Amino acid sequence: MTTEGREVVRVEGLVKEFRPGLGLRAKRVLDGITFSVQENEIFGLVGPNGAGKTTMLKTLMGLIRPTAGTASILGHDIQESGFRKHVGFLPEVSYFYDYLTGVEFLDFYAKLSGVPRADRPERIATLLGWVGLSHAGDARLRTYSKGMLQRAGIAQALIHDPQIVFLDEPMSGLDPLGRKEIRDLILRLRSDGKTVFMNTHILSDVEMVCDRVAIIVEGKIRYEGQIEHFISSDQQRADVVLANVSAELASTLEERFRAELRDHGQQVEARVPEKIVSDLLRACLEAGAQVLSVTPVRVSLESIFLETVEETTHAREQEGL
Amino acid sequence: MFGRIATIANNTVREAVRNKVLYALVFFAVLLIGVGVLLSTLSYVEQERIIQDVGLSAIRLFSALISIFLGVGLIHKEVDRRTIYTIVTKSVARWEFLIGKYLGLVATVWMQVIVMSVAFLAVSYLTGAPIHAQHFYALLLTAGEVAMLVAIATFFSAFTTPMLASFFTGGFYVVGHLTRDLKQLGSQSDVESVKTAANVLYRLLPDLESFNLTVEALHGLPVTPAEVWFPLLYGLAYISVVLLLGSVVFHFKDFR
Amino acid sequence: MIDRIACVLAVALLATGVDRIHAEIPSTPKSAKGEAFVPQPQLAKIASLGFDSLASDYYWLQAIQLVGGAVEDPSAHGYTIGRLVDIVTQLNPHVGHPYRFAAIWMTGSENDVRFANELLERAIENHPSDWRNYFYKGFNHFYYLAEYPEAADELEAAAGIAGSPAYLKRLVPRLRSQSEGLEVAAAMLSELHRSAPGPAARVEYEKALDEIETERRARMLDDARERFKKRHGRDIEQVEELAVGPKRVLRELPPEIHGWEWMLDNRTGEIVSSYYKARYQVHQHHRPGLFTPSAKTAKTNVREGSEQ
Repeated sequence: MTTEGREVVRVEGLVKEFRPGLGLRAKRVLDGITFSVQENEIFGLVGPNGAGKTTMLKTLMGLIRPTAGTASILGHDIQESGFRKHVGFLPEVSYFYDYLTGVEFLDFYAKLSGVPRADRPERIATLLGWVGLSHAGDARLRTYSKGMLQRAGIAQALIHDPQIVFLDEPMSGLDPLGRKEIRDLILRLRSDGKTVFMNTHILSDVEMVCDRVAIIVEGKIRYEGQIEHFISSDQQRADVVLANVSAELASTLEERFRAELRDHGQQVEARVPEKIVSDLLRACLEAGAQVLSVTPVRVSLESIFLETVEETTHAREQEGL
Repeated sequence: MFGRIATIANNTVREAVRNKVLYALVFFAVLLIGVGVLLSTLSYVEQERIIQDVGLSAIRLFSALISIFLGVGLIHKEVDRRTIYTIVTKSVARWEFLIGKYLGLVATVWMQVIVMSVAFLAVSYLTGAPIHAQHFYALLLTAGEVAMLVAIATFFSAFTTPMLASFFTGGFYVVGHLTRDLKQLGSQSDVESVKTAANVLYRLLPDLESFNLTVEALHGLPVTPAEVWFPLLYGLAYISVVLLLGSVVFHFKDFR
Repeated sequence: MIDRIACVLAVALLATGVDRIHAEIPSTPKSAKGEAFVPQPQLAKIASLGFDSLASDYYWLQAIQLVGGAVEDPSAHGYTIGRLVDIVTQLNPHVGHPYRFAAIWMTGSENDVRFANELLERAIENHPSDWRNYFYKGFNHFYYLAEYPEAADELEAAAGIAGSPAYLKRLVPRLRSQSEGLEVAAAMLSELHRSAPGPAARVEYEKALDEIETERRARMLDDARERFKKRHGRDIEQVEELAVGPKRVLRELPPEIHGWEWMLDNRTGEIVSSYYKARYQVHQHHRPGLFTPSAKTAKTNVREGSEQ
């Protein structure tokens, strides 16, 4: 995944305020959001409930008008509408006309998206096969399970062969098998050359499919970056447990290796970045210390996420004080 | 554009005809058209007129009820159930959606008007009541009136809840039949501002009474072409303005 | 099974109860309660919200129920009928019969008759080519108001309209000359009877025609009485004397229509039917405010007269 790809989504200083009613103070839901999405990547917008994920996505989809700031998709300002034929969208919880059959449902959206009449039957059949609903094409959506509806929703988002697909919580409310099916579909979209933008609060899914993420908390982007960043060695740490640590060695570890030391009496536990573990071990052995164990600590996205959220909350509490 | 509007209109009809209340209202309308025969026996004279009066009034009343009942939730329901999300995020402009929904509902209500008209004509035929051109003009203008009502209901549905929209649309329906009295009232007033206000309201509010040819139909009174085509033309123009306004309001709406 | 039967029984019991209670609620039409129920025509028009003709028919059915047995004496409710027909014809002036309906039943007092004529005026405005409205108006002028010139004018107008009966033309000069009213009344009443819209109205005209026929026969007896006086040099002591004995003046007495008999009135000495006990005085008694077109309405007028 290269960061050199073309920017397909660009959001700058986006602000959205909702007025709950006349005379009441406006509530700022998006507070100066800036981020970008590159071509052919799977981008995850991650945040706790109420952080502004859905508002952000609705703004990009033109369902909500921004109060300030700009956003563009495929180089077009989101206020325009002509570029929407290159954009697919799956809303958070898919509410569809449940009296339509799978085929009628896709035909409806194919007509709206201007898919030529001659191409429609084949396109619909292909998509149904693609999302694994070939057997249910003639059944009404009312009889679909949650997972089937979600897959039908994805088929609807792809009916006009868009370049970029926006998915709002595509895996929420699904069982593990359902989630795996959606995950596989998203990965296939990338291999077909599409760009995928998804909102989610399920971090394991992000870890498994996203190339890049942005963490949004209380209407602000707290982090934006490559997913490898989290999992890469300079972010990953290891716990090294040592015995016979001299005071001299301890200060060396803290100063030279910037290790976090925890004194357990006989033993000392040092947490260091994984990539300097071998250097550290060499230094320890040279200083006559005994190495009892080396355990890699997997710092998950979840912990970064939680840290970010906690930081924000702390900061706000302190401001409040 | 036309294809998209037609697709939305078509789907609106499909959804509307699934509404059971629609059938209940049509059933009561047809029932009332039939009850007219019973009511007419209370009078020993002009029974055919009473049958047709009750019949035409039933068609007008129930088609108005259907229009308001289905119209006030037309847009709001799509927003509330979020079915609109996947539609306006396709290459469908919001005004296209609004017009498509409007046309779909008008088509639905017109189908009901046709069903009720057939019942009316059947009862007239069976009771030997006369049927002349004025009856068809009256039915045609009823179709025009409901198209106006649906437009007004669609307009309110674009930005408010069904409850409020039904109050507003119902209010427009009532006032729309009184604008002529309003004008009369204004012209009798000595206060200049009252006069002006009454005149402004008369021109602003829909003159639904101009769509009422019931009396002409009942008595076979002569009807000039202007009494048929001008209301229809007026309706078309009024509907265009209302839907344009609705589209503008709808365009700036946030779907939270 | 038992509980189902119990349910059905309970429903049946309750339904019977509801029906019983419902039967206790008076079901007379609102109009029978009198004019208090009748709204102002302008208000009725606004409240009808464009369903003017339907509202018109509603009030029409209310009016019609008044003569259909809802009240004992419809002509005593003439004013209420007039108010109702006023609404009916303001909401839908194109109706035809209600105007004449009002004329038929609004006979209780001079005010009623004049009100009915106002309504007929509206009928003439809206149906200028219907001779019947002029005819009814003329009849009211002649029969109840004793206004012969006006009656003649109306009948003349009626006679000038295509489709009107030919005899109307002959009635006009008679009215103008203010001559014998009995035949004019009989002719007009026959027309009204012929065109009466329903049995209830027809009965009223039959009564009036009865009286006129009775009067005609009474006048025959008057003539015979004159002849008796000439022949016998004295007046009769009993009506039967006219047709008994060798010097009788009549072969037989004309039968009293109702099967009653002829008698001499104690007070006036006139020959009267024991059914009516008074002579039908064609014109003299039709002064404004005094109405005796039939025994029945005469009774009403006494009451109304005492109120005035």
